[in-house]
Amino acid sequence: MSTQTVGKRSGADWASIIVGLGLGLTIAMFVETTTQADWNSVYAVVTSISRIAALVGSYLALVGLVLVSRISWVEKSVGHDRLVIWHRKLGPYSLYLITAHVLFVILGYAGVDQVPLAVELWRMILRFPWMLPAVIAFIFFAMAGITSYKKARAKMSYETWWTIHLYTYLAIALSFMHQILTGPMFLSHPLNKAYWEFLYLYVAAIIIVWRLIIPTGRSLRHNLKIEKIVNEGPGVTSIIMKGRKLNKLGAQGGQFFGWRFMQKGQWWISHPYSLSAAPTDEYMRVTVKELGDHSKMVKNLKKGTRVFFEGPYGTFVAAKASKGHIVLVGGGVGITPLRALLEEFDESKSIDILFRASKEEDLVLRKELDKLADARGARVHYLVGSRKVHTMDAKYISKFVPAFADSDVYVCGPTPLVEAVREACKDAGIPKNRFHDEAFEFHSV
Amino acid sequence: MKRGLLIGVGTLGGLGAVFAITPPQFGTSEPSGLSALPGRATSSSTPVAEASKAATEPTKSASAPTKAATKPTKSAAAPAQSAPAASTGVTGTFDGDTSQTRWGPVQVRIVVKDGKIVAASALQSPNGDRRSADISRQAIPYLVQETLAAQSDQISGVGGASYTSNGWYSSLQSALKKAGL
Repeated sequence: MSTQTVGKRSGADWASIIVGLGLGLTIAMFVETTTQADWNSVYAVVTSISRIAALVGSYLALVGLVLVSRISWVEKSVGHDRLVIWHRKLGPYSLYLITAHVLFVILGYAGVDQVPLAVELWRMILRFPWMLPAVIAFIFFAMAGITSYKKARAKMSYETWWTIHLYTYLAIALSFMHQILTGPMFLSHPLNKAYWEFLYLYVAAIIIVWRLIIPTGRSLRHNLKIEKIVNEGPGVTSIIMKGRKLNKLGAQGGQFFGWRFMQKGQWWISHPYSLSAAPTDEYMRVTVKELGDHSKMVKNLKKGTRVFFEGPYGTFVAAKASKGHIVLVGGGVGITPLRALLEEFDESKSIDILFRASKEEDLVLRKELDKLADARGARVHYLVGSRKVHTMDAKYISKFVPAFADSDVYVCGPTPLVEAVREACKDAGIPKNRFHDEAFEFHSV
Repeated sequence: MKRGLLIGVGTLGGLGAVFAITPPQFGTSEPSGLSALPGRATSSSTPVAEASKAATEPTKSASAPTKAATKPTKSAAAPAQSAPAASTGVTGTFDGDTSQTRWGPVQVRIVVKDGKIVAASALQSPNGDRRSADISRQAIPYLVQETLAAQSDQISGVGGASYTSNGWYSSLQSALKKAGL
């Protein structure tokens, strides 16, 4: 355990230094090519600021792409969840800087020309090469940023968000040519140009290898196909998939994959679903509720459909627990990864399961849960009814689980439930490293 | 927190490494690319002075191309006499790629006779706003002159018109490449 932690830390530390080094080189490109003329008037200063904002913003956008590029050794050493968190933290800065670039460069140019901003924007589009694609790229980039804002994201389906987010790849590619062809740091400096081109090509190569070639190869090798579709209750469906040598994937209950069902109207989009049973060498299962547009189509999936996958991802695993007592809190269909997790704990652990649902029929996988709980002596508490009745605060949870304050807590469900349990843990004095959450609506694959 | 520090250290390291190899040149009024050109002329006077100099001597610069154009007939004849097989010199008109600058496009056309540049002109030059148009109008005759004198891309550029000069330089390079010079 301790050596693993050290390894993790130094890997992330080295990555930090390399990211910093690249940032230094990027800023150096600007400093090396800047002259007095870039600072001798207000508008020149505004334009210069816009350039440095553009360089740093673009660099951060590339780092953001690398963070979610699924390089397996990075995923293993840092953890998918942390990478996604960093990606989410970095994204806004990149967007702010690029927005600053757009505003400042128009302002700086318009100031020199003494024309309104809109006129200057139009002139720039006409006058400079690849400027129209760059403007379109900015719109795509801004849309991806806005739709990722927590409140906006909560209002749209995963499919919509995902599709819009996909356009950031296009945005980054479209903006490249206007940089190289008009950026003063590249025009007169072949070394800068070479560095910048190398950076973009390198990131493109990483994405092509890790997000395209490797997942495709693994999907073909494990030959995963839909074996059976099972109706589990109102709007809830299980998909059982059969493949070969699945043990080699090293997946555990509690983890999730990005699934892509290769049939008409489905193949283009990848979906994050958690395993709803511990995987075997031959079978994997997910259980899906009609949430997004895609989930409704799940019922139309046909037996024998090939399944492409990326994963496994997630650190919502049994090995994270440090205490002898475990509390699993599930909300609605959020019970599925907990059901898989239940199989992964060894006999020494004492387990309580709190399963909250609005209606009796929403208690999916109930029979399985009872059977598994019986077999290993775990206690399942079914909490049916409104959120107001089942407040999920520390006091309420302690009623069912007296040892709550001395437990490892796993929670999966809608965001309000996850947040309520997070509060409860805080109140009970449970440290962060014993609280494990999986807010399933925020998976990004 | 600690990781942020490491990123900061890396950034400073990257900056420091670059500056140790090539110290930034804030002093010049032109991008380092151009000032680093070989054959750079004597240190340029202030941009304003240079531009006004260009403005006061338009006749001289305007006549330059014609003067230069007469030269090649003589010089081109010389190699043809001494070695007929060596008259591989190209002849023709070559347009460089359009080079985009901060103030607009620059595109150079060169006329080549027996491997010699006999004329050069700007097909496009910055004219989006009056100031740019004025500057490039004054600078281009000098750039033409320099090009004919250098017979290569080894030009020094015109102070006060650094963007136009840079654009000229890169468009000229591609024109020369097309001409095989």
